[in-house]
Amino acid sequence: MNATATPTLEVRGLSKRFPPRSGQAEAPWILADLSFAVAQNELLTMVGPSGAGKTTLLNIICQVDAATGGEVQFEGQTMRLGNGTLNPGWDCRFGYVTQDDNLLPWRTLIDNVTFPLRVQGKLNDQTMARVTELMKTVNLVGFERYYPHELSGGMRKRASLIRTLAYDPPIILMDEPFGAVDAQTRTQLQQDLLRLWNLGRKTIIFVTHDIGEAIALGDRVLVLSRSPAKVVAEHRINIKRPRDLSNVYKLEGFGDMYETVRKELL
Amino acid sequence: MKLQLTVDRVLILVLCIAAWQFCSMQWGLHWFSSPLKTTNRTIELLGNGDLLYHTAYTAKAALYGFLVGGIPGLLLPFALRRSPVVNAILDPYLAAGYGVPKLALAPLFVLWFGIDLEPKVALVASLVSFLVFFSTMAGVQAVNGQYVNMARVAGASERDIARHIVWPGAIPYAFAGFRIAAPYSIGGAVVGELISSNRGLGYMIQAGATDFDTTTVFVSLFTLTIIVVIINWLVANLERWLLRWRPRTGAGASWVPGA
Repeated sequence: MNATATPTLEVRGLSKRFPPRSGQAEAPWILADLSFAVAQNELLTMVGPSGAGKTTLLNIICQVDAATGGEVQFEGQTMRLGNGTLNPGWDCRFGYVTQDDNLLPWRTLIDNVTFPLRVQGKLNDQTMARVTELMKTVNLVGFERYYPHELSGGMRKRASLIRTLAYDPPIILMDEPFGAVDAQTRTQLQQDLLRLWNLGRKTIIFVTHDIGEAIALGDRVLVLSRSPAKVVAEHRINIKRPRDLSNVYKLEGFGDMYETVRKELL
Repeated sequence: MKLQLTVDRVLILVLCIAAWQFCSMQWGLHWFSSPLKTTNRTIELLGNGDLLYHTAYTAKAALYGFLVGGIPGLLLPFALRRSPVVNAILDPYLAAGYGVPKLALAPLFVLWFGIDLEPKVALVASLVSFLVFFSTMAGVQAVNGQYVNMARVAGASERDIARHIVWPGAIPYAFAGFRIAAPYSIGGAVVGELISSNRGLGYMIQAGATDFDTTTVFVSLFTLTIIVVIINWLVANLERWLLRWRPRTGAGASWVPGA
């Protein structure tokens, strides 16, 4: 797995700033000249301080938000990132698991999970079997007919995760998806993610401010600076898979890597 | 607990009837009728079908008006969402339309539509449409942008977004409008009948008052109250069923008198 040899996604010189507020001559840059590449089937984690522009970066790659400059290539095609030409998700090539689970409160769990398949017109026996399989993998069987407000935070996270996996986009962006849950649930969710990723390898960009999470999950970690975000360091994580996250701190190499990244983040 | 509540409620009812009885004894049946007389008259009017006849007429005016005004009021915000320019152009006119005191239009509607059902329907529709429009519009504008982004990324078309995200999100707001509009629709129908009619509960009130027949006035008023309570109950239950995805308590939980 060599990121530079076979990049599936390439970000080059990406920059972003929002329109200035009234009374402001120039808005600050959120991203400035940010470049990196992701290899096919790689789980790339990015760790950066709060407010580094991580969400903005993923919003741009997903075409939810326009870029001010730079370009992004995916599988050899250059995306049009200007205002007015955005195509969110780029015809379902990009899955996006956001910080909030964004489950629709008026739909049951199963209707939420199948929502993308339904609007894409791809809900059939075959995809439904896949959904059932995913539901089993993340222990949501039996809760199909529950509404989101009746589920725990961790269950909602898992639902939002498999909602994206259900339609099998080639690349998935994850924006601190496990941010707002307790530590135990979090470990469980991380383990679920790794299990799902092992079942059907795909390219994932996982953004977080948690150093431990970035190291535990990733094939490679990019360390981002404060805003405007730049890549200040890159580390290949050579911890063997499958990884048992319940005692990740004991895994060989974890402690040293943690220290290194922590210092780089300062 | 439940029994205590019922006992207390009955007690208040008894007190009200006693006060009414006192008034009629103190100042005369002429002004206040009496609980007994009103009950007897109600039974009499129910027996000969008069009460049902007038009630049906008023209810019909209210219902037609509610539909004629409510359906456009409910749908227009969704059309305007798609064309912000038209929305911006219409905005001051809609606000002005909302500001017009609708009851003052009643004589005009009589001139235009005569004295049968049509002017009452028009009056009710003019009241209901703005109430429903503005609350639904608030719901359409309060659509959660994150849900919309999620849906777009997942491949949803504009039509999917309108149907699966904007519409269900706006329903609670629309119901806030319905809850206010429902009693107004009865009120509007009655005012229309007070002004010119030879049928309906408003006509009964008007005719009763003209004849110094306070008993009939009271019968009509009680009937109206019961209708409004029933309508509120129906709207509240429809809402509860449609919005069964919502937690029962907490922000946005609806309050309906008597429901």
